[in-house]
Amino acid sequence: MKNRTTVERKSERELVVTRTFNGPARLVYEAWTRPELLKRWWAPTSTGVSLLSCEADVRVGGRYRFEFGHEAAKPMAFFGRYIEVTPHARLVWTNDETDDGAVTTVTFEERGGKTLVVMHELYPSKQALDATIAGMEGGMGETFEQLDELLVTLGASVGRL
Amino acid sequence: MTLTGMQKHVRVLEQAGLVTTHKLGRVRTCRLGRRRLEHEAAWIESYRQRWDARFDELEKVVGELQRNEKVDGRKNRIEPTR
Repeated sequence: MKNRTTVERKSERELVVTRTFNGPARLVYEAWTRPELLKRWWAPTSTGVSLLSCEADVRVGGRYRFEFGHEAAKPMAFFGRYIEVTPHARLVWTNDETDDGAVTTVTFEERGGKTLVVMHELYPSKQALDATIAGMEGGMGETFEQLDELLVTLGASVGRL
Repeated sequence: MTLTGMQKHVRVLEQAGLVTTHKLGRVRTCRLGRRRLEHEAAWIESYRQRWDARFDELEKVVGELQRNEKVDGRKNRIEPTR
């Protein structure tokens, strides 16, 4: 049976993704930390984008940079640095594409030859996570906030008349 | 904007599920509607599908690493007898 992937918004600032893999933690960890292996799964063909480049210097303070896109001229980049590296057990990195990107913690827990992967994304504020959810470009978050303000104003003026 | 114009705008937002309104006397209170929660649920599901697709590929990579390890293990056991 296929292993299930779950996603849950644990709090105003946290998203948690989980999945169990049939294999030992050290191999799952290896696939997350060796660029030539990362490249093979990070951009699945079903998403329609391809990974143009993938660099990952998995050491405390080391940087990563993944570039995606349909054309090499206009790639979309994801980048940041590793702030915690515990081989076969735990990785923590920053997401520096935006000023209010999340800090991602991935843990690898082995049980009976299988590995539970828990990916935890902690955003700096509720607004930052709301904005991510509201729109990929972050635009809708602002739209909703403006709508909130508009409604307060509308409510106030309708009430007065 | 006139009051009538504004009321039309609010009605459109209400029909779209973006706001709910509640009238008490002469005061109509507007709140963000269910649409926002539905949007969050839909986003979480699409995010889940994206990771699920990645993880399906990761599963294949892990399976391959495991098979390679077994093959290497057999080779290592054979070599000392040569």
